[in-house]
Amino acid sequence: MPAQRPAQEEDPVATLAEGLSIWVGKLSDLVKKVVDTGPIRNVINWARMYSLWPVNITTACCSAEFGAASGARHDLERFGVLPIGSLRQSDLIVIEGTITKKMAKRLRMIYDQMALPRYVIAMGDCAMSGGLFHDSYSIVNGAHEFVPVDVYVPGCPPRPEALEQAIIMLQEKIRRSKVYEQG
Amino acid sequence: MSLSHEREDDIIRKLKENFPSGIKETNVIRRARLEVTVASEKIKDVAIFLRDKLGFDHPNGVSAVDYNRENRFEIVYHISSIGIKEMRDLVLDLKESVPRNAPKVGSLVSVWSGVENYERESFEMFGITFDGHPRLEKLFLTDNWDGPPPLRKDIRFPTD
Amino acid sequence: MSAPPKPVPLTTVESTETSDSGAQTLTLSVGPQHSGSGHMRLIVEVDGDIIVNVAPDPGYVHRGIEKIIELRNIIKSIPVIERPSIIDASNLNHAWVRSIEEIQGVEVPRRGQYLRTLLNEMNRIMSHLYWLSIYGVFLGHTTMFMWPLGDRELFIDLAEKLTGARITYSYLVPGGVRRDLPPGFAEEAVKRTEYFEKRLKEYDRIFFNNPLFTSRAKGIGVLSKEKAIDLGCTGPTLRGSGVDADLRKDEPYAAYPELDFEVSTRPDGDSFSRAMVHMDEMRESCKIIRQIVKKIPAGPIRRKAPIVLPRGVAYGRVESARGECSFYLIGEGGDKPYRARYITGSYRNMAAIPAVLLGNRLADMPTAWWSIDYWPVEADR
Repeated sequence: MPAQRPAQEEDPVATLAEGLSIWVGKLSDLVKKVVDTGPIRNVINWARMYSLWPVNITTACCSAEFGAASGARHDLERFGVLPIGSLRQSDLIVIEGTITKKMAKRLRMIYDQMALPRYVIAMGDCAMSGGLFHDSYSIVNGAHEFVPVDVYVPGCPPRPEALEQAIIMLQEKIRRSKVYEQG
Repeated sequence: MSLSHEREDDIIRKLKENFPSGIKETNVIRRARLEVTVASEKIKDVAIFLRDKLGFDHPNGVSAVDYNRENRFEIVYHISSIGIKEMRDLVLDLKESVPRNAPKVGSLVSVWSGVENYERESFEMFGITFDGHPRLEKLFLTDNWDGPPPLRKDIRFPTD
Repeated sequence: MSAPPKPVPLTTVESTETSDSGAQTLTLSVGPQHSGSGHMRLIVEVDGDIIVNVAPDPGYVHRGIEKIIELRNIIKSIPVIERPSIIDASNLNHAWVRSIEEIQGVEVPRRGQYLRTLLNEMNRIMSHLYWLSIYGVFLGHTTMFMWPLGDRELFIDLAEKLTGARITYSYLVPGGVRRDLPPGFAEEAVKRTEYFEKRLKEYDRIFFNNPLFTSRAKGIGVLSKEKAIDLGCTGPTLRGSGVDADLRKDEPYAAYPELDFEVSTRPDGDSFSRAMVHMDEMRESCKIIRQIVKKIPAGPIRRKAPIVLPRGVAYGRVESARGECSFYLIGEGGDKPYRARYITGSYRNMAAIPAVLLGNRLADMPTAWWSIDYWPVEADR
C-alpha cells in the first residue's frame, strides 16, 4: 500500500513570499502603466532615439558606405549614432551587406547578447533579399530570416544619405512606440 | 616590347632535357605565358628544379579546373620569378591531371609554402586530396557544410 | 622556430598544450566581429603575452563568386567581381576585362586606356585612405579615423563626376570604358590632387612622425624578404620587405608604359615600413593623375567587343591597391566562362598572417595584422 504523505503544514514564509511577489508584480505593472503615459514616455523615447549606438558589424561591402557615413563629411554622430565597439553597450545592429551561413549563426548570437531594447537595420540589397548574390550556395537571403528587422535600406550599396534617412525613420519609429514594447 | 618567345622556348628546352619522360605537353600561349603539363609522379621534382635552377621562387596561386566531359580534374600551379628581374612578367602554369573518381595528388607545400591555402581551397571546393598537406580541412565553407564540393560542374544549387 | 607549429584546434577554448618553458598556453578566438575590419576569425595561441601559434579562420564573407560567374554572362558578372573589394573596385574590374580582351583579341583605344588608368589610380588612393582610417580604429586614434575619410570624399566626388557612382563603378567593359571625361574634369583633378598632397604632408607630421605611432609600429610584425617571396605575398606587403616588384613596372599595361612614376619600397619589413609604402604610393598616384589629365590623347574610348568568350585561356592580372589581382580565365565559346579562377591581393597575403604575428605580443596584434592590409571580404570572395 503506498504510504500516505502527511498533510503539508502551512509554511508562513512561503505564503508571505507568494503574496509579496503577487503584490510586487501588480506594483510593477502599475509602474509600467504610469511610465508608458505622456511625458515620461516622451522623455524615455527621446533619450533612446537620440543615442542609438550601433555595434560595429562590418559584414560585407556595405561597410564601406557605413564607414563613409560615420566619417567626416556625412557625420552620423550628429544623429547620436556612435559606433563604440562593445556589443553589450549597443542598442542598434546595422547588418551591412551579404550574410553568409557561417556568419548568420554568429550574428544571431550577437543579437541575443544585446540588451533590450534593441533595433535592427538591414542595410543593402543583400541584407534585404540576397541582392546580387541571391543564387549563391553560401548565403542567407535576407536578414529577416533570423532576426526581426525594423528598417530596410535598399541600395547596392546605399548612399550615406540613404543610411541617414534610415536612422531618422528608426528614430520616428521609436518616438511612436511604447516604452516596454520589447520587454 | 618584343613579341618573340625565346625565353619561354629556352625554359621548355631545359625542362625537356632534364625530365624527358615527365613533361607531357608544353604550350606557349603568348609571350610571358607558358603552360607545362607534367605527370603527377614527377611534378614535385619538376617544381624543385624550377625553383632552384630556373629561379621560380614565387607562387601566384593554384587553380583547379573540372573537365567533367573528359572525366578529369586539372590542377594548375601559377608560378613566377621575383628574384630575376627580367623574368618578373613571366607566369608559368604547371599543370597536372588527376582522374575525377580518384582525385589524389601530392602537395607542393614543401616546395613553395605559399600554396598551402590554395590547395586547401581546392580540397574543399572540388574534393581533391593533397598528400602531405599540413592542414587539409575546410577554409571558406560553413563549419557544418555537409553538401558536395560546390565548384564541381555537375553540382547545381537551387536558386530561391 | 625550430619545429613547424602544430595545427591549432578550432573548437577548444582552454588549451592543454605545454610550451618549452613548461607553462600552459592559452588559445584565444579573436573575432569574427572586429571593430572595423570585416569578419575574420584568428585563433591565437598565446604563452603569457607572446603569440606562439596563429591559425586564420576565414570564410565568414564567402559568397561563392567563382560559382556565380560560371552561371552568368561576362558583362553581368562585372558588378559581382567588383564587390570583393568595393573600395578598390575598378582595379578588380580591370583584371576581369583584361583577361576577357586577351581571349577575344580586342585592343582598347589609347584614350580608353588612359581613362582606365585614371580611375585605377583614384581607386588606389581611395583604398589606401580607407585602410588608413581603419588603422585609426584599430589603434584607437580617432583623428586617424576621421581625416582620411574626409579626404577620401575629395576623390569620391571626382569619381562620381567621371562615372556616376560613388564606389562601385562598373566603368570598365571589354573594349574600353563606358563614359568620357566630363568638361572641367582636368582642372578639378589638378586642384584636388595638389590639395591632397599638402594634406599628406600634414599626415606625415601628425600621424607618422609621432612616437604614438612609431613606438607601436617600428619593429613589429617583421616579414623577411625571402619569406615574403616564398609565401607569395604581393603589393605593399611585399614592397615593405624590400622587394621592388610592381606589375605597373614589371608587366606594364594600360597607360603605364607612357607615365612617369616610381615604385616605393622599404627595407625593414615591419609595420612601419608597410605603412610608409602606402603613403608613398598615394603621392605617386597623385602625380600619375596629373600626368594623365594633361597627356590624355583624343580619340574613341571604346571599341565594340562581342559579348562572347571564345575558346581560349588567359591569365590576366593587374596591380590593385592590395597587390596583384589575377584571373585565370578559360573560355569555351558562348557568353559564360568555363572556369574563372579569381585570386585577389588579400587572398595572397593571407599566407603572411602567421608569419607577421608570430613572436609578437598580443597587444601588438592589431598593428601588425592591419599593416598587411588584409581585407577579409576580398580574400573570401
